[in-house]
Amino acid sequence: MKTRAPVRGTPKLSSHRGNEAAMQGIWSGTISFSLVAIPVELVKAVDSGRVSFRMLHNKDYSPLQRRMFCPEEETMVPPDEIIRGYEIGPDKYILISDEELESVSPERSRTIEIVEFIDMEEVDPIYYDHPYYLVPSKGGEKAYRLLVEVMRRTHKAGLAKFVLGEREYLVAVYSSEGALALITLHYREEILPDEDISPKEGKSENEEKSRIKQNIRKMMADFDPEKYADKRRKKIMDLVKKKAKEKAPVEAPEVEGEEGEGPADLVAVLKESMRKVKKNR
Amino acid sequence: MAGKAIWKGYINFGDVNLPVKLHTAIKEDRIQFHLLHKRDHVKLRQQMICAYEKKPVPTEAQVKGFEVEEGKYIIVDPEEIEQTAPEDSRMIEVHEFVKTEQIDPLFLERVYYLEPDVSLKGYDALVGALKEMEVAGICTWAMRKRYYLGALQTGGKILRLTTLRYADEVISLKSLELPDIPLSEKELQIGSDLINRLTAPFQPQKFENEHQKELQSLIEKKARGEKIVILRPRRLKPTASDKLLQALEASLKKVA
Repeated sequence: MKTRAPVRGTPKLSSHRGNEAAMQGIWSGTISFSLVAIPVELVKAVDSGRVSFRMLHNKDYSPLQRRMFCPEEETMVPPDEIIRGYEIGPDKYILISDEELESVSPERSRTIEIVEFIDMEEVDPIYYDHPYYLVPSKGGEKAYRLLVEVMRRTHKAGLAKFVLGEREYLVAVYSSEGALALITLHYREEILPDEDISPKEGKSENEEKSRIKQNIRKMMADFDPEKYADKRRKKIMDLVKKKAKEKAPVEAPEVEGEEGEGPADLVAVLKESMRKVKKNR
Repeated sequence: MAGKAIWKGYINFGDVNLPVKLHTAIKEDRIQFHLLHKRDHVKLRQQMICAYEKKPVPTEAQVKGFEVEEGKYIIVDPEEIEQTAPEDSRMIEVHEFVKTEQIDPLFLERVYYLEPDVSLKGYDALVGALKEMEVAGICTWAMRKRYYLGALQTGGKILRLTTLRYADEVISLKSLELPDIPLSEKELQIGSDLINRLTAPFQPQKFENEHQKELQSLIEKKARGEKIVILRPRRLKPTASDKLLQALEASLKKVA
């Protein structure tokens, strides 16, 4: 879909990329509960809203691409020449191939197996890590619909563990507006205790408490995140608009063939998305 | 122990003014890998490459551009971008309170613990008020050159501040365009029964990161020069639409 109207001097108002890009699958496999198996795809539920600038070469204004580079040979290294290494000493590594990594828990790398259902209200939100959506793959539409509908009726969420790349995730799958949302959860040991910073002996400040409650009552509203736009993003967009009026945009040279910014295989897609996830923390 | 204090500020709304310290609440510890060149095992690094010349581009030859249309960019000076960054203000300003249940988990980003700073006065009272009313304060603040949107909540005896995603960062479910497939009441009933049978209390301590341990033992095996048996992941056969009721009934029988 590249039918954007020609723009002169005014950049598109939205700093945000379209949803088509976001719908790219991160992982495909099966979600199961008891004897029911549903083929699904994992897609992003959130997209960083930072204004997306591209790095360009100041000589020809061509976009830059991030590539893996061997400092020894001073060459670009294609994905099939890259291997994972676990460092055991200076410049000493144990090599781990993709196949070996997958062999660690093969049964959990293609299946999100719901082992039990829980009440989502019982989950302390501190456990929530990163959200995704699950969408049905071909042939899974009906069973998917069923899982969405029965979880909605019962107000339950499914708990599962599954392996994505180098990590195993504990996840909660729940019904959200007719679809399945999946939230990765932190493990218990990742949550730091707070006793050392909790106030000792709870003082009873009843008068103060009712005064605060009065303040709160006056300020009650419905949650509406639309109200709070990112001020900085707006400022950056204003700056870009101002610049666009002063000077015509520069043009990048045509590049032959596919640009190749998009990763070639699923493992790379996954790595790329995980890298972004980490970066956004 | 909670993480180090990373920032100090004060919560402000109405005539409430409460100094607090922010602490990290989560610590992830996981096995890190490096990417190596297969041939010579040299550690690789990331390099920016010019898409046109296919050559590495040093930092001083890189400029920032905002894409206004396919292949056309407005060049923006990094210093000018820097100027849009906010000053730290120390004020966590609460704009309104909402029922906690109204906040969709998709919006929650990162949790901080809030420790009372300077004095304890009013801290417990605020914890108590938020807990009893089951509300969260929607607030904004500027920290480390960024504006943040957050929810002020309680967890146990302390206050927590959770950063929230902005509305346009959450992808709408409408864009998923899911087909609406009719289900029979019987399928729904058996499905619900099954889920209720499989329900247990949430006990996070039950779930360990076994994979991390298995991965550690794989590394040790390789270090000892042992051969690794390659196991292929198996995909489950999808439940066919016309076999769904049957699968649900068999599942229910299994757990009954």
